Amino acid sequence: MARITAGVATSHVPAIGAAIDLGKTKEPYWQPLFAGYDWSKAWIAGEKPDVVILVYNDHASAFDMKIIPTFAIGCAESFKPADEGWGPRPVPTVEGHPDLAWHIAQSCILDEFDMTIINEMEVDHGLTVPLSLLFGQPEAWPVKVIPLAVNVVTYPPPSGNRCWLLGEAIRRAVESFPGDLKVQVWGTGGMSHQLQGPRAGLINAEWDNRFLDMMSQDSQRLRSIPHIEYLRETGSEGIEMVMWLIMRGALGADVRQLHRHYHVPASNTAVGHLVLEPVA
Amino acid sequence: MSHPDIHSYLAAFDDIPGTRVYTVARARQGYWINQFAMSLMKPENRARWKADEKAYLEGWNLDENQKAAILARDYNRLLDLGGNIYFLAKLFSTDGLSFLQAVSTMTGMSVEDYQAMMLAGGRSPNGVRSIKEGN
Repeated sequence: MARITAGVATSHVPAIGAAIDLGKTKEPYWQPLFAGYDWSKAWIAGEKPDVVILVYNDHASAFDMKIIPTFAIGCAESFKPADEGWGPRPVPTVEGHPDLAWHIAQSCILDEFDMTIINEMEVDHGLTVPLSLLFGQPEAWPVKVIPLAVNVVTYPPPSGNRCWLLGEAIRRAVESFPGDLKVQVWGTGGMSHQLQGPRAGLINAEWDNRFLDMMSQDSQRLRSIPHIEYLRETGSEGIEMVMWLIMRGALGADVRQLHRHYHVPASNTAVGHLVLEPVA
Repeated sequence: MSHPDIHSYLAAFDDIPGTRVYTVARARQGYWINQFAMSLMKPENRARWKADEKAYLEGWNLDENQKAAILARDYNRLLDLGGNIYFLAKLFSTDGLSFLQAVSTMTGMSVEDYQAMMLAGGRSPNGVRSIKEGN
């Protein structure tokens, strides 16, 4: 039986990808940020997951305004890095896991989550930066990836509770897959950031750290945080944190925090990172 | 779970100072600004755009205000006219600007002052949570 063995949360700031691609990770600006991922890189090299279900948002790369899927699951064999205006990132093509992806898509639809199914898609920094943070710069990614894109751009995005429930449905789907796979769920984006308007640059370290605490200690309360609270407290793009709740919902009632990192700033953003494992 | 009222849900966004939430009303108004910006993901389109910006804009269903704001790289104005920052990112990336450089232009600060603010921990949420509450 396939099983969910861990959850990872991480920000996915595009400048982090650029710092890696341009060899700047040892520079004083970037060093403390990347140091917080050293533990996780060693951990995941030992864990060797077979598949990562990577929850992220597309930043107007694969989806333009023609189609706005709330939850879209990538079922393709592979996904190329998108050209976001600078040319594509020099990172490996992302290999999918169509058998598990289609199984999750079908199972979730029967479980009353009406997923959008994507058979051809390019993936942007939202997906590739977390892979770079955990795996560095390999010739090929050492894991299959199922992209799960969430609309957090055009309002309304899904509620935090809906994200949590989707995580629970994904767990049920994974556990009914007839293959012996170690599966991780990653929730990406956040934490505090606002990329627009005169209020740009907002960072709320106190709120962010409370959110990090609640991921392992008081998780049920996370489900009822309304969108307006994310916006007021953590900036307009802080709303991305609802995506972490898909990961958290997939891990079950209780989790153990294995690793935690928080750093300000990466470009305009507060970077948060957690490694969690389910407690049976 | 409760069933929130869409009208009060949307109205609350206008109470956040210095912020334009990308609601459907803005998405509909700015549809062609955003689709224009998306077109700059293709290198051949970027080349045509750089060669003659005004001529490139003629190919899109944009009004004069929208065209002027695009040519001026007036990002606050573009947000008011329905642009979204992730779409507009294609425009400033084509100009060779990072998110930090482009975002700073919306704050009334120099890029150096904005960068220094971020290094010092960012903008405090105190006083910019709610217009009504003044907190």
